[in-house]
Amino acid sequence: MEIFIAQLISGLSLGSIYVLLVTGFNLMLLVAKIIQFAYPQIVVISMYTCWWALKITSNKLLIIIAGITVSVALSLLSEPIFRKISSIKDVDINATFIASMGIAMIMMDVMSHSFNYGFPVAFPPKWIGGNILSFGLITISKGQLFALVGGVIAVSVFFYLLYRTNQGRFFRAIAENRLAAELVGIPITKTSIFSYFIVGILGGFSAILFSMLIGSASPWLGEFVALKMLAVSIVAGLGNLHGGLVCGLLLGIIEAIAVGYISGSWSNVIAFVIMLAVILIKPEGLFGTKI
Amino acid sequence: MSEVLYYFLGFSAIYILMGWALYLPYRVGQLNYLIVACMAITAYFGGFAAREWNWPFPVILIIGIMISTIIGLIFSQAIGKAPCFTVVIVGLTSVFIVKTVIENWKLLGGTVGFFHIPNVNGMLIIIYGLLILVGFLIYRIDHSRWGRAASVVFVDKDVAVSLGVDIKKIGMFFQIVSCAIAGMAGTLDAFLVRSLSPEFFTFGMIGYLMCILFVGGYTTMWGVIFSAFFLQGIPLMFPSSIASWRQVIYGALLVLIILLRPEGIITRKMLWRMKPKAYFPVNTQIKNSKS
Repeated sequence: MEIFIAQLISGLSLGSIYVLLVTGFNLMLLVAKIIQFAYPQIVVISMYTCWWALKITSNKLLIIIAGITVSVALSLLSEPIFRKISSIKDVDINATFIASMGIAMIMMDVMSHSFNYGFPVAFPPKWIGGNILSFGLITISKGQLFALVGGVIAVSVFFYLLYRTNQGRFFRAIAENRLAAELVGIPITKTSIFSYFIVGILGGFSAILFSMLIGSASPWLGEFVALKMLAVSIVAGLGNLHGGLVCGLLLGIIEAIAVGYISGSWSNVIAFVIMLAVILIKPEGLFGTKI
Repeated sequence: MSEVLYYFLGFSAIYILMGWALYLPYRVGQLNYLIVACMAITAYFGGFAAREWNWPFPVILIIGIMISTIIGLIFSQAIGKAPCFTVVIVGLTSVFIVKTVIENWKLLGGTVGFFHIPNVNGMLIIIYGLLILVGFLIYRIDHSRWGRAASVVFVDKDVAVSLGVDIKKIGMFFQIVSCAIAGMAGTLDAFLVRSLSPEFFTFGMIGYLMCILFVGGYTTMWGVIFSAFFLQGIPLMFPSSIASWRQVIYGALLVLIILLRPEGIITRKMLWRMKPKAYFPVNTQIKNSKS
């Protein structure tokens, strides 16, 4: 039972980061109308930025700012490309997926060539922190706590923005009906650019929490995270923000429990087999698609 | 024949087969990455059957195609008419599961790889013979009722349904055929290279196949032939210092082609214009009478 509780805590921490990633991905899908496959690669580059910043300074605020700035900058840099693609006649949303795949390939190759000579990086213990609570087999590390609390705060702030502010109303209006939103005077391009900005912040924040939780980064991490993020978004239902919240947490819990009871990388397969089975049985997602 | 030319021709042919395997389901707007999983399964099956059981190559080839056809049949029951992105996720997840199983299965060499697959004489002739056969089959499909129906499904599913096209059936058909071609390519790849590694069947390969399909042009089967040779030749054309960045080159090409020429280099319109125009005396008379 103790193992189960320990893995449950670990799963909730991991799941909260997945929720952040899926939320960012879904926001891009709903507002900017793009399938941003390169989003996890942006997160990994942001993790590398934190690692570099840690070498220069020990000021955590500066490190966090550096991570988020890079993520926002990369997210905003991709905006003109996707805007141009979306404006091309007879081109659908799949084209944005294909282009983002190209961007992901570039980012991955740059990371595997240039960042730390392609070797994975490990974050120092001062960044990850040790255990802050130990009770039998149940231990809560600083990284787990930060991931859990940070994830909950970030998602809460995002949903507050979405449901309690004008900008959030703009987001929802565009997601519901782009043409009608334009007709009532909502600035589509401006709101779309703002969604890239928000997604950049979410990505940077995910990178910081991820680096604290897993303590390492590698060029191949993005590919792995992308697969999980996309699978969760499909299982939940494309563009379904609430569904993504539930399914992101569930994936984290399933993965952590599988790690607790099954050895090696087989634990990852369990989570993927479950997701694959759900997609095959219910291709439109558990909570229904919103696009 | 030099070794470089031998492998250049061999790999180009195998990637043309894989490009066609990706091209067929995209006729109905589905990106079926399951082909990479099928390729991995049949490659390992072929290698294992030849090395451990001494099965003859033709038997392995036929059984390999049958295995991947069955996989295609099972999966297509669920995702025959699923949206593009769902099919993408099913494919990506399957690739990851297959890769992890191979990595953890010591019998298949694990992460080290699988070596010493027996040599088959005249492999290049066999590959090109099968390539012509598959090319002819795809040409026939493209110019059949199925091909025309697929073109309608790609443009507008609602119109296709109103014209009596069974979307699920046509999607299933293309997915099954594409898996069968991938199964063939997998077996041929195992006997061409004579060694296998799970690292070969990753996101990099999917990106490369995407590049082949979209740079060459997804509207005709000929684009794949052009881009497979062209992209395969890139590492040979440039010095090794530049060639090692080929993923960046492929990624950049993918983004550029979507931005500048979304249908790819060789399009259906282009082929139509190149076609020799027939002489119609009636039309000339009408034209003359008007003038």
